[in-house]
Amino acid sequence: MTRSIVVTGLGVVTPLGEDFPLSWNALIAGRDAQGPLDLFDTTGCRCHHAASASLPPLADLSPQAIRRLARASRLAIPAAREALASAGLLDAEGRSTLSELPFSVSTTAGGMAFGEDFLRRVLARNRSNSRSHLFSQVSRYLSQQQVLDVQQALGFEGHSIIIANACASGANAIGHAADLISVGAADCVLAGGFEALTELVFVGFDCLQATSTDRCRPFDLNRSGLLLGEAAAFLVLESGEHAQRRGATPLCHLTGYGHTTDFFHLTQPQPDGAALVEVMRAAATGARVAPGQIGYVNAHGTATPVNDGVEAKAYGAFFGDALPLTRISSTKAAIGHTLGAAGAVEALFAIEALRTGRLPPQLNLQTPIPEMAPVLVGEKESSCEMQHVMSVNLGFGGSNAALIFSRSPSP
Amino acid sequence: MKIDLAVIGQGAVSPAGMGVDALLHREPVPVSVAGLGQPDQPWPVLRVDVKDPAFVRWQGEPRLRRASSITFFLVEAAEQALAGVSPADRAETGLIVAFSAGCITYSRRFFEGIVTQGMASPALFPETVFNSPVSHVASVLNLNGAAYALAGDETAWVAALQTASIWLQQERVRQVLILGAEEFDPIVLDAYRSARWLRRQNSARGFLASEGAAGILARRAGRCAGHHDRARRMDLSHEIGGGDRHGKDDSRLSPQSSHLSDGTAQLDGALRDRHYCGRRNGGQLETALPRRGLHRLRRMAHVAGPEHAHAPASASPAPRLGVKSSIRFVGVGNTKIVRVTSTISV
Repeated sequence: MTRSIVVTGLGVVTPLGEDFPLSWNALIAGRDAQGPLDLFDTTGCRCHHAASASLPPLADLSPQAIRRLARASRLAIPAAREALASAGLLDAEGRSTLSELPFSVSTTAGGMAFGEDFLRRVLARNRSNSRSHLFSQVSRYLSQQQVLDVQQALGFEGHSIIIANACASGANAIGHAADLISVGAADCVLAGGFEALTELVFVGFDCLQATSTDRCRPFDLNRSGLLLGEAAAFLVLESGEHAQRRGATPLCHLTGYGHTTDFFHLTQPQPDGAALVEVMRAAATGARVAPGQIGYVNAHGTATPVNDGVEAKAYGAFFGDALPLTRISSTKAAIGHTLGAAGAVEALFAIEALRTGRLPPQLNLQTPIPEMAPVLVGEKESSCEMQHVMSVNLGFGGSNAALIFSRSPSP
Repeated sequence: MKIDLAVIGQGAVSPAGMGVDALLHREPVPVSVAGLGQPDQPWPVLRVDVKDPAFVRWQGEPRLRRASSITFFLVEAAEQALAGVSPADRAETGLIVAFSAGCITYSRRFFEGIVTQGMASPALFPETVFNSPVSHVASVLNLNGAAYALAGDETAWVAALQTASIWLQQERVRQVLILGAEEFDPIVLDAYRSARWLRRQNSARGFLASEGAAGILARRAGRCAGHHDRARRMDLSHEIGGGDRHGKDDSRLSPQSSHLSDGTAQLDGALRDRHYCGRRNGGQLETALPRRGLHRLRRMAHVAGPEHAHAPASASPAPRLGVKSSIRFVGVGNTKIVRVTSTISV
């Protein structure tokens, strides 16, 4: 990274809470949000539970305006608002003080529920379908609509980009924001991701038998699959100079970003984890950090049989002898796999671990994978000496991404 | 942001045929296809000929055995753009693909199976993900650099150019392949019909649904020493300057809207004749497109500049073309229109 990049604001909506303090405190307390899924019919599926979020109220929008929003927008708007507020970038009316604010966003399904309803109505060939209603649905299903929803609700405009690299997208969106600042294309960027639970995606993972009918148990020998979740998470990234100029207090520095593509298989990582090792090395090189200096890793840890075994091998290869010096956990056991939002939510949890020294415990652990057992975070663990943390994500199509956050800028 | 790219390769798969030359100069023949909601109402549609030998050659690739047509479009367009690039250079090539609807055929089929039969196909689901085609292209063509799938409207293409420029500036990759692609599915007719965007038979209003892929291979301008031979062989070397801006959704008809409507009709007319969208106005070329992904293909033709695609070869560096683009949304009720303004300097 050629310019110092600081994080000055954080905001989330997760199944654990409607804002960041609620989500973080529940996470640290060891709560998980798994529950029965009632957003759509799951008849015929193996799995009938997920981690669904309570939608925060949007007091400044009319009921009609709220009805027109995709569930994804109802998650994204409050999370983005919290991030801007915590960065000191909201005015008294709740509008962005920066009218021009680049927006780097990730999602995999956008407003898919509108698309599902559109297809249902089209297939029903019901002549009572009004053309304007159909158009309203189809135009609101595309992910750029949720981007516009956030921009309009918070009163800013500017360049936006939607990265759809499956489950690594959130880390990519944050990394891309850092790239924009690093090369001088932007001074301040709102970055993050959002994902709402939708029937198409839920049934998709279910038919792949990737979802668990048990608890979600990352890095456990008895893991049987993932828990799907929904969330939105955003952070404000700025150049160090920009933050200093406006008197903002940096929460931490983003010092490393790596991303690469694993060719092995569309839905499975390379068995030796080589691509993941490569991406962690790229991030560490950018941050000028040795593996042993990374105090905590928020792992991808989906709890699927293939992913966690490969990830464990990759950590062994990357950290080498320094593996016992780090602490690792996957917060997907608590909030589920939030797909396009996962990289962003997990980066925020890693940042808070760095800031507070409190580490998210590895929930639902019974019999850990032996090589991971010494490094998985236990209950009420803390580590105040950490200088660097890392967040790691993998996705369909072989997308791999890693972010490193540090207390101080790279040397 | 100043974007400074040198284009060293280009490729296209379109209803007009395989290659950029076909895209720019051959007239595609529409076929009639009905949407899912009104099977008795056919619309003229432009389709890629999937029996073309250049297209068929990819069907033997094991990695592509379950892939949908959008992946095949992309692989073929990418291979054209990469023609003559060594394996070593391919290994240092980044890949960025812009989509609007993306893998719509498998997404529709997958969800239709759930709705109509209560069954979901595990073979289809992974191919519904936006970045699956990107992964396939990278794997089949051995592109080891970074890879992004970008979703959005036409401006995703400009975001892709900007991202490529950043990667090159950071020297993260040696070159970047920047592509856009869409595939046709009957469901898009229902979508466009609901927006009243489709053109009826023997009408000049509205547009034809289409499909295909196109892209450019770009390096950092000024770092193409040793590639003049290649540039001459392709008779093309451009510099692209760009910036983009997503505006607020104006709540009322803007003063430019009548112009935009005229421009849209004019573009479609121009496309019908030349597969080229734009209007000469002094040194400025303005385009105004309704928000839909299929026009991306046309804009690529516009960016490539058909008059320069066939410039005479010379021993000196090929002509360089500067293109500056700005993009703005204009809202008309529920309809968003994206206004693209490009200035070309030679």
